Amino acid sequence: MSRPSTLSRRGFLGLGGGVGVAAALGAAGCGGPGSDKPDAATASTALAAAPSIGTAPVTMKAYFETGFPMPKALTDEFTRQYPNVKWDIREDQFAVITQNAPRVLADDPPDLMRLPQVSELVKNGLLKNLDGYAQAFGWDKWPASQLEQLRVGPGGRPRGEGSLYAMGLNFSMTGIFYNKKLAAQIGMTAPPATLDELDDLLAKAKRAGITPIVQFNGGATGGFAFPLQNLMASYGPPGPINDWIFQKPGASIDTPANLKATEHLDRWIKAGYFDKDANAMDYAKMMSKFIAGGCLLMFNGDWESGTLDKQMPGNAGFFLMPPAERGGKRAAMSAPLTVGISAKAKNADYAAFFLNWVASNQRAREIAVDVGGSHPMGPPDAYMPPVKEGSVTAATLAAGAQIAQDNGAMDFIANATGSIYAKSWTPQLQKLFAGQQDPKALLKAVQSDYESQVGS
Amino acid sequence: MIVTRREAWTGQLLLVLLMAVTVIPFVSLFVTALHPSGTYPPGLDWPTHPRWSNFADAFRAAHMDELLISSALIVLGVVPVSLLIGTMAGFAIGHLRMAGRRLVFLAFVLGLTLPFEGIITPLYYQIRDMGLLNTRWAIILPLIGLFMPFSVFWMRAHFINMPEELSEGARIDGANVWQLFWRIHVPLAMPALSSLAILLFLWTWNQFLLAIVLVDDPAKRTMAGALGAFQGQWGTDIPLLCAGSLLILAPTLVIFLIFQRRFVSALLQGSLKG
Amino acid sequence: MARPTLDTAADPATARLALTTVRPPRRFARRGRRRGGRWTGWLFAAPALAAYAIFVLRPLFLTIEYSLYRWDGIGPSTWVGLDNYIKVFTDPDLFGTILNAFKLIVFFSAIPVLLGLAIAATIRRIATSRLALVARTVLFLPQVIPLVAAGITWSWLLASTGLINQLLSYVRLNGVTRAWLGDFATALPAVGMIGAWVLLGLCTLLLLAGMSKIDPALYEAARIDGAGPVREFFSITMPSLRQEIGVCITVTVVAALASFDIVYVSTQGGPGNTTMVPGLEIYYQAFSERQVGVASALAVVLMALVLACVLPIQWLAREEQR
Repeated sequence: MSRPSTLSRRGFLGLGGGVGVAAALGAAGCGGPGSDKPDAATASTALAAAPSIGTAPVTMKAYFETGFPMPKALTDEFTRQYPNVKWDIREDQFAVITQNAPRVLADDPPDLMRLPQVSELVKNGLLKNLDGYAQAFGWDKWPASQLEQLRVGPGGRPRGEGSLYAMGLNFSMTGIFYNKKLAAQIGMTAPPATLDELDDLLAKAKRAGITPIVQFNGGATGGFAFPLQNLMASYGPPGPINDWIFQKPGASIDTPANLKATEHLDRWIKAGYFDKDANAMDYAKMMSKFIAGGCLLMFNGDWESGTLDKQMPGNAGFFLMPPAERGGKRAAMSAPLTVGISAKAKNADYAAFFLNWVASNQRAREIAVDVGGSHPMGPPDAYMPPVKEGSVTAATLAAGAQIAQDNGAMDFIANATGSIYAKSWTPQLQKLFAGQQDPKALLKAVQSDYESQVGS
Repeated sequence: MIVTRREAWTGQLLLVLLMAVTVIPFVSLFVTALHPSGTYPPGLDWPTHPRWSNFADAFRAAHMDELLISSALIVLGVVPVSLLIGTMAGFAIGHLRMAGRRLVFLAFVLGLTLPFEGIITPLYYQIRDMGLLNTRWAIILPLIGLFMPFSVFWMRAHFINMPEELSEGARIDGANVWQLFWRIHVPLAMPALSSLAILLFLWTWNQFLLAIVLVDDPAKRTMAGALGAFQGQWGTDIPLLCAGSLLILAPTLVIFLIFQRRFVSALLQGSLKG
Repeated sequence: MARPTLDTAADPATARLALTTVRPPRRFARRGRRRGGRWTGWLFAAPALAAYAIFVLRPLFLTIEYSLYRWDGIGPSTWVGLDNYIKVFTDPDLFGTILNAFKLIVFFSAIPVLLGLAIAATIRRIATSRLALVARTVLFLPQVIPLVAAGITWSWLLASTGLINQLLSYVRLNGVTRAWLGDFATALPAVGMIGAWVLLGLCTLLLLAGMSKIDPALYEAARIDGAGPVREFFSITMPSLRQEIGVCITVTVVAALASFDIVYVSTQGGPGNTTMVPGLEIYYQAFSERQVGVASALAVVLMALVLACVLPIQWLAREEQR
């Protein structure tokens, strides 16, 4: 009887073979895909004068991170002050923004984009060189440490020096938030001064039946990087950590101090100090759990100070991670809330003007502190809005001053390369929490991923 | 058919159980959507104060009106054209018995089980080079191409069954090929065409991968693609996400319920014949 | 969505007609005006062929071409030959995605087909009752909604405070509750369950439709001979359902191998790499990691795998086509 299946099979193999031959011929014949000339990092253009907003109506395209009200509050205020400027804002979660950054900047460029990490983007020439604006607006007169993390050398590494490729909407500070009521319950009268005191605190909380730490570690963003980096800074100086993040040649994350830190984190995990759902918890869930009052501590940053002051007024406190030794220097992750201007942005001048406005306009600075909770960028004598006594915002701002004094500002280990967070830190930390990875192997794995990503 | 009481009962119980398993997730979505925004309600838990306003909020946040129009435009772009050229090709292969039809048919059959992820990467660069990125054409044109294998296959299966005498008679009366096609065969192919239309409509409306890779603006995507964007933006607010998901599902469900018999028979035939 | 298969002859009449088309039509003159078939045929098929060639065949060739290079999508590319393919088969993360896809086949395929067979066999006798007609509509709902919606719905149900855990605690199984999609051991099975939910209704209805084509006299005869329901099932029902079972398996296997929507929306491949599937990895490699060559190699491997799985199933299912 008819066997069309045999016909199909023979036809398939024939067709498959034909396709293969054609492809091989095609590949051998012509050159590969892509342009022949590599895109160099964009050179800076000197500006005659600082750009200004005209009166012509313009629509700015922005791509921000969802769940953070500050950028939207700033753009709303900007439109209030300059009614001819409208905003078309797209929001996405942190992990999605990181994934989409190369593609969106190249093919559908926004004027302003929240960027978790800029090294690879600069290497591929996707970001606008802001040196011209820095000169015109006077940003290069600000304290150098504010813009340091936004500078990238030629070719995309190292960071920390070179031309300016991004700006910050404010300057954040991280540490440990605590629930004041629960702290009083277990007898915490003052923030712990050493790592041992912190360990005691966690043990006391566990015995009292309170979840000691709630920390997100789920999905594509492993939030355990926060406590890990804090522990690293407790055990060793922040300098080598920053070198690794900035891709300085020869830098390594696999150091004895960092190993001690990772082992300490592992002890916390094994002692059950973390909320047991950590590997499935995303950032918003962690926030909601902390605000609901079920746990004592949360490792987070002052971008939430405003939210915490509103939702847990008077009940949220903040302290910096204590050092291992009494009286040691303190260090904390402290970075600008990075936004960049696409190299192909249509309204680059207006975007730069907006960035300058955020740092200099009084109302904008108020929004940065009230809604954003963090310190605005700019010269040290710029206007600072008054902050309520005893609010967590006051605590985080004060901590910022101490870090500046101790010279302990670090960038985030998640920002070392474009994909170190999603592809390396997150899976490794998730495995550590699940008991499937040990501290030594974790650091080795991350270092080897780092080397292959940086070398490419 | 001898049907014992007990058999009938077990059968009915199983059916009810199966239907419950199918429907409960939707019920859970609905109940969760009524909770205050930003909370994490446990399981199936009717809220003390149902927030019907969540649906209105989700409607506005998702710009549902734009989404509906966008999806409708994409469907209007894809389905009629696919139906027409797919039927023409099926006619040529199945009834006109064009020369080389076996090779052409095999070429189409090759694409029947092609996963879209297999070609999405070059498709992206191709669309970008055409300057169509971030427009609705970025979804419409590739979908037309991707639906050709199944459409041609489906319509050929119909045309192969059409007797020669029909066309002989028309030719004797002096009809040219186009008139033969349009006046005689297409009306006869209506059942097959309408089933195909339903399948293509469903696959276009629910298209996700092309929408999120080739189009950034949710207002220019399909409903499924827009749901992806909605989840990206509001995914951390569970009640709002549930409300938005239900709203985005609603048009498909409504159309399905209206045309249910056609849908069900089309989907069943589509799997069997395809 | 229902993925089509390669079945061309559903019944003997069509098969016979198919035979006639195999004979070359040399009866007509080359430039015969009678049929005008040659060139008019090509004119009719041209638009479809054009659309197909431009948007499917050309990208297909390009995928194969890209897989032989190392390219980041923006700058120049370098020839690396088969390096990308070696990477796909040796890198544990990349090869792991293929293993995950096969593991998903167990859930997407085995559960819907086996369960569907059992359920269809049980409800066969009441297949024309009113309840069954309502059930036809309801059981199709998962096929009608976008897979993304299924993913979102089930992510919520499988959360640590979701309905599944609530039900488990009702039956005093509190110890088992957990965040199913966040646990290393249960994430992939949980994703598999989502797929099984989407495909169960389709398989049940397909098999039921196939069963209703079986001559009831066979069952009467078996009943009279004293055969129980199990004997009936294995001797009468299963053999006649060869084609339908083949279709179910094909549709579900392709759904498992090419899965993207559900995983993207529920776990994004995590935790770790436990739910990463080839479709999603291709997306990440191409658009996030800027490794177009590796992505294309994985894409070629995926397409080959799909063919390798579908062709034998089709051949087996139609072996005894009468």
